[in-house]
Amino acid sequence: MKDLRRYWELFLFFVKVGLMKQMAYRPHFFLMITGKVIRIALLFFFFQAIFLKVSRIGEWTWEQVLLLFATFHVVDYMMSITFGRNLSSHLPSRVQSGEMDYRMILPANLLFFASLEDVDMMDFFSFLPTLGFLGWVLWRLDMAIAPLQVILYILLIANSLVFLYAVILAIATTSFWTTQSYGLAVIFDNLMKIGRYPLDIFEGFWKVIFIYFVPLVLIAQVPAQALLGALSPGFLFFAFGVSGTALALALMFWRRGVKNYMSASS
Amino acid sequence: MGSAAKCLAVLKLVLIERLVYRLNFFLQVLSGVLTSLIIIFLWMAVYRGNSVSSLGGYTMPEMITYLLGGGLINTFILTTAENNETSQTIADGTLSGLLVQPFSPYWVWFFRDMGTKLFLFLLGLAGYGVVFLFFRDFLIFPGSPDRWLLFAIAVALGVLLQFLLFESLSLLAFWVENTYGIRFTMRVILEVTGGAIIPLSFFPSILQAFFFALPFPYLIYLPMTIYLGKTPADEVAGALVRMGFWIAGLAVINAVLWRRGVRRYVAMGD
Repeated sequence: MKDLRRYWELFLFFVKVGLMKQMAYRPHFFLMITGKVIRIALLFFFFQAIFLKVSRIGEWTWEQVLLLFATFHVVDYMMSITFGRNLSSHLPSRVQSGEMDYRMILPANLLFFASLEDVDMMDFFSFLPTLGFLGWVLWRLDMAIAPLQVILYILLIANSLVFLYAVILAIATTSFWTTQSYGLAVIFDNLMKIGRYPLDIFEGFWKVIFIYFVPLVLIAQVPAQALLGALSPGFLFFAFGVSGTALALALMFWRRGVKNYMSASS
Repeated sequence: MGSAAKCLAVLKLVLIERLVYRLNFFLQVLSGVLTSLIIIFLWMAVYRGNSVSSLGGYTMPEMITYLLGGGLINTFILTTAENNETSQTIADGTLSGLLVQPFSPYWVWFFRDMGTKLFLFLLGLAGYGVVFLFFRDFLIFPGSPDRWLLFAIAVALGVLLQFLLFESLSLLAFWVENTYGIRFTMRVILEVTGGAIIPLSFFPSILQAFFFALPFPYLIYLPMTIYLGKTPADEVAGALVRMGFWIAGLAVINAVLWRRGVRRYVAMGD
């Protein structure tokens, strides 16, 4: 309990430092937030442009696609505010430059530092309009939603963050052996954007790949389906099972990576 | 060393530099290819799921050709759409070293940008080549050499326009400490309004009017509609002239920013 409190205080400290760093260039800070909000708005118009011509994408209606889209961006922002860039970008560069040395001797968990040291407050402020957008989409859904569906939706969003954390941690850990992990992270970043679309757009082989092999369906589609009451109990267990297993494997891989770390500093 | 030799030397150097990190660049290009594939699958689902042969004036083969061609152009337009080097060189003071060299830093940045674009174009060709083969039954090719030529001119002008657009923002580094925010915002707008993920004719007319008041549709939408014959032959010349006006206007802005910027440039050093 005492440890938990210490880490919470440390996290709040990271938040404060993150805000101070990013507010140093205020016009830049506000322009970045504007740019991120514009990006979501333009993607919304992209979907709207499609639905001006058709009534469905696969089995998904306009409102359902909006729910999927909003859910994806809520997850995406929660990831980028916290561990996203810390793992995919900062960790590899710190391993390569030898900057991990002093973090290793601090009296705190190394993975905690590697995952949360730079809290992206710019993305936090861009996240707030996205939350508002999600609220608007839920209001538009015009259907009765049982409390259990809401609880499952929240749990599955947390589950999708666990899944993403595991995958990105595994990719970042390869930086202990190679200098090319950033390229892999960029590939995964693009790959995960598939989660923004209904997976019905894929057929046969690709559908199987994105559901079972690289289960991008977990990112937004599964939570959205749970909220819409269209998720089977079997798939629910599959979702939690995959994320749990992925996290356990990623943590094992991380421990091996840390053992393999050789300082590069002078 | 003559000017042409200097330009070639800069081009050669940037290609060598990029080759050092070729895997990372290739993975970046590959992720662009992946994004194009996702968008194509999405459109295929839209066509097939709604049993329509044409949407917004585009048949499915036309749409696939548009997205793949646009994706390839995007590889070297969007990936370099930051002109990071210019603002970083100004901000960290390394411009001082460049200013005393017998070649304007502005042209160094220009040819380095062109070299990077050429490198990414070649990588993009390799990456998209496989996808082109996969979708070969859907691909449409222009019927006449004229159309190929006009398409090539539009792409070349687009490359120039993109450089000038982002360079004008990067040169603001002479006045402001950080230009990344404004460049990021412009890049975000370019992502959609350039027409890489959807032909702009799909948008409501009010949005189309807004988009066409910007220079972005000239980067991907115009070349691809010329390629597909969607821009009527008698309108192509007018569109290319408008593009020329944007280029000329931005070139003037670049020249003014560069001259005034260098005059007020101060570098701290040890």
